[in-house]
Order: sequence, then structure tokens, then C-alpha cells
Amino acid sequence: MRKVSGKLEINSNVHVDPQLVFKERKKPSFYIGRTLIYIILIIWALFTFFPLYWMFISSFKDANASASLQFDIIPREFTLDSYTYFFQFNEEVWRWLFNSLFISSVITLSNVLFAAMAGYAFAKLRFPGRNTIFWVLMCAIMIPGQVTLIPLYVLIINVFNMSDTYAAIILPSIVTVFNVFLMKQYLTTIPSTLIDAARIDACSEFGIFRKIILPLAKPGLAVMAIFTFVGQWNDFFWPFLVTQSNEMRTIQVGLASFKFADSTQFGPMMAGSIIASIPMIVLFFSLQKYFLQGITIGALKG
Amino acid sequence: MARVVFEHVSKTFTDDKRGVFNAVSDISFEIKDKEFVVFVGPSGCGKTTSLRMISGLEKQTSGNIYIGDRLVNHLQPKERNIAMVFQDYALYPHMTVYENLAFGLKNLKTKKEIIEQKVKEASKILGIEGLLDRKPRELSGGQRQRVAIGRAIVRNPEVFLFDEPLSNLDAKLRVQMRVELAELHKKLGTTIVYVTHDQVEAMTLGERIVVMNEGKVQQIATPTELYNNPANLFVASFIGAPSMNFIEGHIDNGKIAVNGDTFPIPNKFFHGNALYNGQKVTIGIRPEDISDPHFSRQITNSSELQANIRVVEHLGNEKLLYFDKYGTNFTARVDAESEIRSGDSVKLNFNLDKMYLFDSESGVSLSREGGH
Repeated sequence: MRKVSGKLEINSNVHVDPQLVFKERKKPSFYIGRTLIYIILIIWALFTFFPLYWMFISSFKDANASASLQFDIIPREFTLDSYTYFFQFNEEVWRWLFNSLFISSVITLSNVLFAAMAGYAFAKLRFPGRNTIFWVLMCAIMIPGQVTLIPLYVLIINVFNMSDTYAAIILPSIVTVFNVFLMKQYLTTIPSTLIDAARIDACSEFGIFRKIILPLAKPGLAVMAIFTFVGQWNDFFWPFLVTQSNEMRTIQVGLASFKFADSTQFGPMMAGSIIASIPMIVLFFSLQKYFLQGITIGALKG
Repeated sequence: MARVVFEHVSKTFTDDKRGVFNAVSDISFEIKDKEFVVFVGPSGCGKTTSLRMISGLEKQTSGNIYIGDRLVNHLQPKERNIAMVFQDYALYPHMTVYENLAFGLKNLKTKKEIIEQKVKEASKILGIEGLLDRKPRELSGGQRQRVAIGRAIVRNPEVFLFDEPLSNLDAKLRVQMRVELAELHKKLGTTIVYVTHDQVEAMTLGERIVVMNEGKVQQIATPTELYNNPANLFVASFIGAPSMNFIEGHIDNGKIAVNGDTFPIPNKFFHGNALYNGQKVTIGIRPEDISDPHFSRQITNSSELQANIRVVEHLGNEKLLYFDKYGTNFTARVDAESEIRSGDSVKLNFNLDKMYLFDSESGVSLSREGGH
């Protein structure tokens, strides 16, 4: 089709070189900008990756050599001594791992259940005082953990006499206000007509939560589960405060015992850290699909 | 028997922006068994609230609602034996089409074989047998709509409730689904209550139409009655596309005076109405009752209207003329052969026998006896 003196003339025999079509010439500034962005991202990635790499190679060094803090980018030796040392250092190492896994799992499950229920109520159910209660909870988020730490400690240890028990670690985190908020925000995006349709379809209120809301909230729940599990797994201070006996320690508290007054056993500590990160890696990859979906949805909904 | 009766039903909401407001104010009507009734009106007129009150999703503030012979005021939606089709289809995204259709029956603890049979029947009626294993996201808009209707059919309810079910479809599909819905009503013979803001949908589907505005019922009538005999100015302006033209005037010695011009009052307005001198009235005239004298059929009782045509729209089978007269915008629907062009100053005829007259203050029609 050609334009000839203001009229459109159709010519089916015109051959257009496909190379000429859709070819966009980019300015040099575009390439310079892109290169700069890539360089910054690569440096950032190296900074992020470096501690992990150091942890990884240190764990395969000789247990005593790594204590000297000598560092080679390419490891010259490969030994599992640090791992052996880690498991032999204390007879309760396996117990520490179990404690961390048990506590983190219970807290994650309880958060998933209760935060989803509370979030659903705040997002979709109409009841007197809904907004007031929600805002009171929101105010609780603004209070730093350090402020409530001592009253909480007194309550758990002195009032409830729970010192050195699983309950002492688990109860304060059974459901967090932040998770309730996260779920409320996520569940608000689920159309209310689905709930109406389920009511018409003779579904009970708990049935709606179980059969409609929970399956649709999977991405949001996955994000919450990962954050909660990782947060709990890595928590050091609270388990350290409320446990005394060696067998009630979590892995993070246990790892600290590799640091002595005059030296730190970096090799075994790094081996322990590698082992300690395995459950998180497994959890992330098993929920990766939902996690990424949840992040995207959150981003789109603002 | 699945009639639906509203007895002095009102619904009040409390809203952060509007405070306490009446979504529905003291409405009463009866929808007969097996009738297809359409609620129509502008946004916020209370039509969807009325539908939700029938379904039980919303509870009325006062008044009684009956479905069949049962008073359903305190019954849950699942106890009312109704099914509802939503504007956005409300299909459960994580379930297949089969699971969507079977969900309601499963909750009612229906036997598996009966569920299978009912789902099969409904999917056959709607032509969605091949889609049963798909998830809603894999379906087109029209297919989703069919599944939503199918979910209602399998329940075999006494009353079907449709909440603007076609408004998310494109124009072509909407017409197709409209026809299918009319056929479905014939096939199922169930009471249908249908809410729409589209008056074309209301006129084509409804056996009777309930016109609502500001939470009140304006008129309940058949489409023909509604078009030919609107109860008030609102109904007259809402029903018909393009909408009716209105001229403000007053009664002056047995005639209607408008900006120095006078129009005779057709005889029909003297029956049952006491027109008095000085009464402010509004003349209503539909676009098709204004015609090009060169192309119109013989009209026995007509009046002339001098008009400067602003715009002419060619629709193929007819032309729409837009002009200003007596301070208002007019639309006339004339023959496609008419040679009137924009910018022309022409004389148009308007059919006095088809004229409507309303009391300007109350808005009530003066051409009909009684109210609704």
C-alpha cells in the first residue's frame, strides 16, 4: 500500500524487506545506561553473595585453619572436619535442630491458621467495632519489640512459670499482628461476590473460609509462612532469654556456643550455619511458586 | 408456587460518606409464579439491594418478604431455595467447571450420582459439556456466563436471581445471551428476577418491568405499557432510546403555552384530569413522533415545529436529527430517505396524538388515570 498524491493505492506486488521493518535504532546513551545498571547490579549481587560464599568455603576448611580468619577466594583444601566437629561438639546438636524445626513449624502453622482467620474477619465480615479493633491492633505494630520484652519476660517466666519450655518460646509468637495485617490486606483483594455465591450455594461460614478463602489465599499464606518460618528459625534473643538447659536451646542459640572467650570456631560454626539454612532453602523452593505469585500480586495491588 | 412478595420493605445503610441513607424506601409488589420480572433503574436506585434482600444476602430494615407462601425474613440464603447469577460471574477460580456446578449440591449433601446427573443435564442445556474439566480462567466471557447460569440451574431453585449478568459481555455476545436467557426461561418455566441498568435488556427480556429510582418503585408494568403509558417524568425519560423530548410550558385557556407558541391539548388529557389555568406542565414527545413532513405517513392531528438542525446522524435505516428548541435539546428520528442536512432550517411535524403531558411539579403523568 502506497500513498500517492493524497490517495491510497493498493499494490499487492510491493515487496518489503523484512529487515527494514520494525528495526529500532537505539541511542548510545541507552547502551551506556544499561551497562551502568548491569555493573551496579553485578556489584550488588557480589556483595550479597560474598558472605554466603565465605560461609560455604569456610565450612569445608580445616576446623582449626578457619579460626585464623585467613581467607582464600579459591579454597585449597576440602575437608568435612568442620561438619564432624559440629556434630561432635555437643551431644545436643541434633536436639537443637529438632527444637528449631519444631518451634518454627508450630509457630508458622499457628500463624497461618489464626492470621488467616483474623484477616478474613477484618477483610470480609461485618461486625460492630471491626475498624476500631483493627486500628488498635495496628497501633500494636508500632510498639517496638524491645519495649514489650521485659513485661513479656516477666509474664512468661514469673507469672506463668514457663521457663525452659516450648510454650515459653511458642506462645508469644502464636499469631503476630503483622501477619493479621498482611492477610487482611491480601484477602481484601478476593472479590466479595465469591463469598456471596458460596452463601447462596448453601456453604456454612466456616465452609466458606475452608473451601473458598483458604485455597484462594495460598499465595498470601505462602509469603506469610516463609517470612514467619525464617524469622522464627533465625530468632536468637527470645529463645536465649527463656531457655536455660542445654537441651532446650534452638540451633541459633546453640551456634553461639562455638564462640569462646578467646576464640571462635569459625569452621564448625559455618558448617552449622550451612546445616541450619537447609530447612529454609527447602521451604523456599517448595513454596516458591506461591511465594513469587504472592509478591507479584502484592506489587500489583499496591 | 414461587411468587415473590415485598410488603412495605425498606433498607437503610450506614455509610462513612453518606451517613444513614435509605437504599430502598417502603416498596411493595408481587412477582407472580413463573414470571420474568426485570428491575431497571440508574445506579444507586436500589434495584440490586432489592435483589439481595430476596436472596437473603442483605436483610431488610423493615417489612416482610415472602417467597412462595413462606415468610423468609429470617431465613438464610441457603434456606430460601433461590439461585443467583452475579455480574462478575463469581465462579470459584480454584475449582473446575464441574466442581463449580456441583459445589452447591455437595453442600446440600446430595448423592454423587444425582449431582453427576444434574450437572450433566445443566451442561447439556447450556452447551458447556466439553468444558467441565476446565478452570474458569481458561474460559471466554460467554462461557463463564454460561457456567454461572449452570451453577444456578443445577440447584433447581424456585426463583432465579440475575444481577446484571450481561454487563461484562461485549455488545454482540450480550444480544446472543439475551436471546438465550429468554429461551431458557421458556424451557425452565421458573420465576426469574433480573436486575439491569440497561433499558433495552429490560424491555426485551421482561414480562413485567419494575422501574426504580432513589429507592422507590416508579412504575410496574409490561414493556409496552411502560413505553406507551409512563407513570411519570422519570419513567418517560428513562425508557426509550433516544429518550423522550421534554418541553416546559403552562396551561393557558385550554391550550399549552410554550415560550409564546401555543399547542392544542388533545382530548385524552381532559379525561379524569383537572387541568387548570396556569398549571405548569411538561410536554413529552418521543423522537419517532417528530417527523419530516415529506416522508411521514398521514398524521391526522399534528403540529408544526420550526427547527434549525445542528447535527444529522445517519444510522442506515433511519436518521437522527438534533436541534435546539425552547431552550432544550431535541432529538427527532426521521426516515432514512429524508434529505434534511445539518444547518438546514426546516419545519417538522409532531404527532399530537402521541404527545405526553406531565404535571411539572409532581412529575406525574396527566395522560393516564391513576398512578402506577
